[in-house]
Amino acid sequence: MKALQVERIIKNFGDKTAVNGLSFEVSQGEIYGLLGANGAGKTTTMRMILGLILPDEGDIRYAGKAYSNEQLSMLGYLPEERGMYPKIKVSDQIIYLAQLRGMSRKDADQNLKRWLDKFQVPEYYNKKVEELSKGNQQKIQFIAAVIHNPRVLILDEAFSGLDPVNVELLKSTVKELRDGGTSIVFSTHRMEHVEELCRNITIMHKSNPVLQGPIKEIKKKFPQERVVVASEGDISGLENVAGVVNVLRHEHGGYELKVDDPQAGQRILQHALAQGPIKRFEVLEPTLNEIFIKTVGENHE
Amino acid sequence: MNNSLWTVLGFTVRNKLRSKAFIILTVILAVLLVVVGNLPYLIDKLGGGDKATKVGYAEGQQPAIVQGLKDYYAHLPEPAVELIAVKGSEQQLKDALEKGDISGYLAFDEPSEIPAGYFPKATYSSKSAFSGGTSSSLTAALQKIKTDKIIKDAGMTEEQKRQLSTPVSLATQKVSFSNEKGKTEEEQGMAIGLTYVMIILLFMSVMISGQLIATEITAEKSSRVMEIIVTSVSPLKQMWGKILGTFIVAMLQLVILVGALVINLLSPQNKDSLDKLGIDLSSIDPTLVVYAIGFYLAGFFLYATLFAAVGSIVSRTEDLGQAVLPITMLTLVGFYVAMFGLTHPDHILIQVCQYVPFFAPFLMFLRIGLSEPAWWEIVLSVGILFVSILAIGWLSAKIYRVGVLMYGKRPSVKEIVKAMRAYKV
Repeated sequence: MKALQVERIIKNFGDKTAVNGLSFEVSQGEIYGLLGANGAGKTTTMRMILGLILPDEGDIRYAGKAYSNEQLSMLGYLPEERGMYPKIKVSDQIIYLAQLRGMSRKDADQNLKRWLDKFQVPEYYNKKVEELSKGNQQKIQFIAAVIHNPRVLILDEAFSGLDPVNVELLKSTVKELRDGGTSIVFSTHRMEHVEELCRNITIMHKSNPVLQGPIKEIKKKFPQERVVVASEGDISGLENVAGVVNVLRHEHGGYELKVDDPQAGQRILQHALAQGPIKRFEVLEPTLNEIFIKTVGENHE
Repeated sequence: MNNSLWTVLGFTVRNKLRSKAFIILTVILAVLLVVVGNLPYLIDKLGGGDKATKVGYAEGQQPAIVQGLKDYYAHLPEPAVELIAVKGSEQQLKDALEKGDISGYLAFDEPSEIPAGYFPKATYSSKSAFSGGTSSSLTAALQKIKTDKIIKDAGMTEEQKRQLSTPVSLATQKVSFSNEKGKTEEEQGMAIGLTYVMIILLFMSVMISGQLIATEITAEKSSRVMEIIVTSVSPLKQMWGKILGTFIVAMLQLVILVGALVINLLSPQNKDSLDKLGIDLSSIDPTLVVYAIGFYLAGFFLYATLFAAVGSIVSRTEDLGQAVLPITMLTLVGFYVAMFGLTHPDHILIQVCQYVPFFAPFLMFLRIGLSEPAWWEIVLSVGILFVSILAIGWLSAKIYRVGVLMYGKRPSVKEIVKAMRAYKV
């Protein structure tokens, strides 16, 4: 039984279609990447999963069950636009939000203290949110999303606006949650985070899912078209090797080549070896970033 | 899951009660009301100890009238004016006034030719043009002297004079058709007082609490806490939790304030002063109090749901004032029509407006208190009011449901209807 199943959901706002026939599944203990340009329909999809909006067609199931009030308490949500009550103490509002999710006051209090300790900020318990820095507010917001141990967690741009240290901290926390069995729907524009965390992804473009599946498979579909080669000295004549489209010389030595033929890599290596010893040679996989730009960009008329 | 309603309610109440603004406002108002509550006593104390105004006159000018004035004030238990003789002309009087020996002076004109029955013109001069109390006292005194003089000249007997000065008696009584005996003047006065107080309280409560509810919802929206809250608890419960929470806080505040006033009014030192003013709290009709509470509740919830709905469609607190303006105008119109109705409870305007649900809490109560509406009028008005509360509550909940998720510019009615269809609420 999948923790979250989304089947062919369609949502129209008036004449505008926000989400058109999207399906995906998230297993227990999996992070699922939901990607797309701004306005592609990600937030609408998340709102439907959260039960804020009902899909016009299609079905969303939580561990096999339809949406109901009981499902509410097993959902966690970190919205893209962050916000807390600025004038209310951290403890008061987190416990309030946890209680709304059906937790008892005592459990919520315990969990909150545990999380604050984990993020090494136990002194925030009695602070007002407006007294905290933006990054720390975000930590508190993250706690608000996970305090009730949700089975399905929806993270919309979870790491935006954080410094690298805090990104690592939250990333490792997300991984721990995943290992603990939480199913996570993850949306971001930072492709390196997706590559690191997600097993399966959907790229949405203009309300339609345009690319879906495990990241590995998706990458195989895209040709390897970048080659990096570096030696002690200069390598001349690279642009004349058959199949090379473009040569880019890096500042710190080495060349990055664009090729249109998978066999070109071998020819480049031989060409370079003929001129001396090679320090580095690599045929690069396409990055998710490239795939994203290609998928979404190509569809831009 | 009714727990969540209580959670929202508790959270709202707790935060309100803890907020400094609320505590300070309540304390200030309570202190003010304690002062007001003791006002009758204070006025009595301060007024009683008031010294008579010293009024100078030029010695030798119109001795007969001056003597009359002296006699007049000598007979009063608390003379407001003390006459001081100053030697010399008007210039000396002016000097005395400047030195502060007197607060003002009287001068009479002395025409060279005195026609028959002539009474000299008097001028009262003082430092401030506004010396209403003294000048009206002097006017009354001079009037009396003039009357006495004319009566004396006419040769009336003392008996006739006495009869002439006895005031006519006119007692007003309101006819009641439901009670066997009509309301006494005192009960009527208390009814007017209670109606007045109730209208002001309702108006203030609706304005203050309504604004509070709307502001809080908009603040939640603009700080985006709303997104988390609506995913945790149904909007309907959240809205009612907030309205009820604010209601409890408003009630608490009201009880504190009214309590402060009533306790002080009832305390022994105020008893005599109140009696003197003809205020007797025990003469308030208990059924009127029941109606007051009922209409207060109805008015509160009617407007609170409206404010909640408006608060939910606004994304930024800056835009809120403009958005709630129509509701504010509605309460203002209700309030002013009610103020007009205090003196004309049976005016056709009031009779029509009493069925308009937005005005009914003000006007129907006013009519019950001050007039004798037929039973069906009350039933019809309360019925319309009750149905309206349910309808507006239902509609507000729907608007709220879609409003809380709509960001950006304030949506038009058309957009809200469209969104309602899209969200299937």
